[in-house]
Amino acid sequence: MGITSSTALWYASRATGVVALVLLTAVLVLGIMVTRKRSLPGLPRFGTTGLHRNLSLLAVAFVALHVLTAIADPFVTIGIAAAVIPFTSPYETLWVGLGAVSLDLMGALVVTSLLRARIGRRTWRAVHWLGYAAWPVALAHSVWSSKDLQHGWLLYLGISCAAAVVLAAAWRLAAALVQPRRAELPAATLARLERTHRPGYARTGAR
Amino acid sequence: MSAPNAAATAGLPAVPAGPAAACRTAAGLPRLLAGPPAGPDPQAALADHLNGQGHLPRRLDSSALLAEVTAAGLAGRGGAAFPAARKLAAVRSAAGGPAVVVANGAEGEPASCKDAALLWHAPHLVLDGLQLAAAACGADTAVVCLHGGRQGLRWHLEAAIGARRAAGLDALAVQVRELPPRFLAGEETALVGYLDGGAAVPAFKQHRVFERGAGGRPTLVQNVETLAHLALIARHGAAWFRAVGTSAEPGSVLCTVTGADGSTRVAEAALGTGIGELLSVDDSVQAVLAGGYHGGWLTPGQARALRLSNADLKPAGAFVGAGVLAALPAGVCGLAETAAVVRYLALESAGQCGPCLNGLPSIAAALATLARPRPARAELANLRRWSGLVTGRGACHHPDGTVRFVSSALRVFAAEIAAHAGGRCTARAGAAFLPVPAAAAAESDWR
Repeated sequence: MGITSSTALWYASRATGVVALVLLTAVLVLGIMVTRKRSLPGLPRFGTTGLHRNLSLLAVAFVALHVLTAIADPFVTIGIAAAVIPFTSPYETLWVGLGAVSLDLMGALVVTSLLRARIGRRTWRAVHWLGYAAWPVALAHSVWSSKDLQHGWLLYLGISCAAAVVLAAAWRLAAALVQPRRAELPAATLARLERTHRPGYARTGAR
Repeated sequence: MSAPNAAATAGLPAVPAGPAAACRTAAGLPRLLAGPPAGPDPQAALADHLNGQGHLPRRLDSSALLAEVTAAGLAGRGGAAFPAARKLAAVRSAAGGPAVVVANGAEGEPASCKDAALLWHAPHLVLDGLQLAAAACGADTAVVCLHGGRQGLRWHLEAAIGARRAAGLDALAVQVRELPPRFLAGEETALVGYLDGGAAVPAFKQHRVFERGAGGRPTLVQNVETLAHLALIARHGAAWFRAVGTSAEPGSVLCTVTGADGSTRVAEAALGTGIGELLSVDDSVQAVLAGGYHGGWLTPGQARALRLSNADLKPAGAFVGAGVLAALPAGVCGLAETAAVVRYLALESAGQCGPCLNGLPSIAAALATLARPRPARAELANLRRWSGLVTGRGACHHPDGTVRFVSSALRVFAAEIAAHAGGRCTARAGAAFLPVPAAAAAESDWR
């Protein structure tokens, strides 16, 4: 099936869906890896959070394109309502429904993030945990609502996305176990410095 | 600025029962420590208090009290010298349910014991002030917070509260809470966090605690000495309060004074009293610490010339703070003393903010090398650079106060720094002079 005027929207919808999945995976991985104390190697913490924020807006744009093209596509019948109300689509009710669930969760994340200054950090943070629910739902939607991700290099792409998230989560959990707790950090820092500061020896430059 | 009252000091030992220290009293001082020390019999102590100070005025309208405190110009005695009336008015007018009032006796400063001394000597003045403040801002909860581990003081205070309850004196029940014995636990957001069941660590100030503090309610946190002054202002009025002190900084203040011989006493002095009158600054003194471990070192010349007021001390890089004055004897290395204190301060960081968590240990380690002969040449430059990097960037003023202390040491001990650079330390005694508690740096220590 080549790209014609009738299939262009169908291709566009699938392509933007795949790109959105990759972007959402990157957003989640960045979100997992930036903590109070840690960041990506070689990137300051504000850089990681900035990247997380900007990539999430880019992902939202691709998700929007993906949804709009799917609605506009005459090949399948997904109404505007079915795009946001889960499990009302006549086409692939379950898998498109999961897409709608994921879309709604992402909507909550975006709205609370934009209103973060007003609603307070605590509420924002509670809602932001939904990110961990939105991504697996989106992945399930990606894999099973069309055959694209079930074979070939797109299958490997899907597996890579899942692996990236699992690895990031494992890194975060391991770091949390190894990391000295907050109140122990100054003592750990001081002990490290006192080992390197020897009396009578210049540490930097010639004396 | 009016001339301060001359030599107005009164000493008292920091323990409840002991020999009365020599008192030099002038111009109506002492005030807070005027009565006899509260003895072991709670009923007798309350009777002594009421005989000596008199009952609180029966009909004291809370807006009249607020006006009186405003006119008195009472500033907080916990260190920050924030106007007491402003806080009181803010809590009074804040929405968000009945207020919480806290008498803050969580004296984390190792060189200070004036809050404990006041609570031992005159608990009823503090408790009077707590009730007045609670009535003035419509509070339904009153708490006294103590530095952790002072079990005896807690019993003393609870006995005093019991005696007042038996006498039907108080409108509001008072709880006593012990805070973790950490340097920062008495910082008001840390204190409120602890009262709410969390760790006693400073929080970023999304809301001021006088708008939304303990349990989400407006919370008045006042140092115990501030409340004691409040109890006296309610009795004697603003004009009486302003009869001592300077016009900008009126009233008297409790000081913890440590002499070059190592003896420590708590003295009540008029603000504006010459530091030299409170503390003997002779040839045996090489420097004077004013304001505690967030304060600054003064040269003996400065100490003799300056008066105990922020107007005098702030330009010199120190402040009145919670009234700590300590004379460092000659023959002790000022740099080693500073390094030991800064090491303690670094370990007392709550580990929350980068500048404090990374900056203070770096500064402490650099000072430790500077305190030994022949430090690396880069250390002094590093210290200066890092000091500039950590200021004003924490959730609380811990980094700022620490840097103020370090900067004053680099200034006052410049000659010693030069001697160390030349490979020689002028100190004759190796023993530490300033009190530095053993570090306790586990997460559980904050709870």
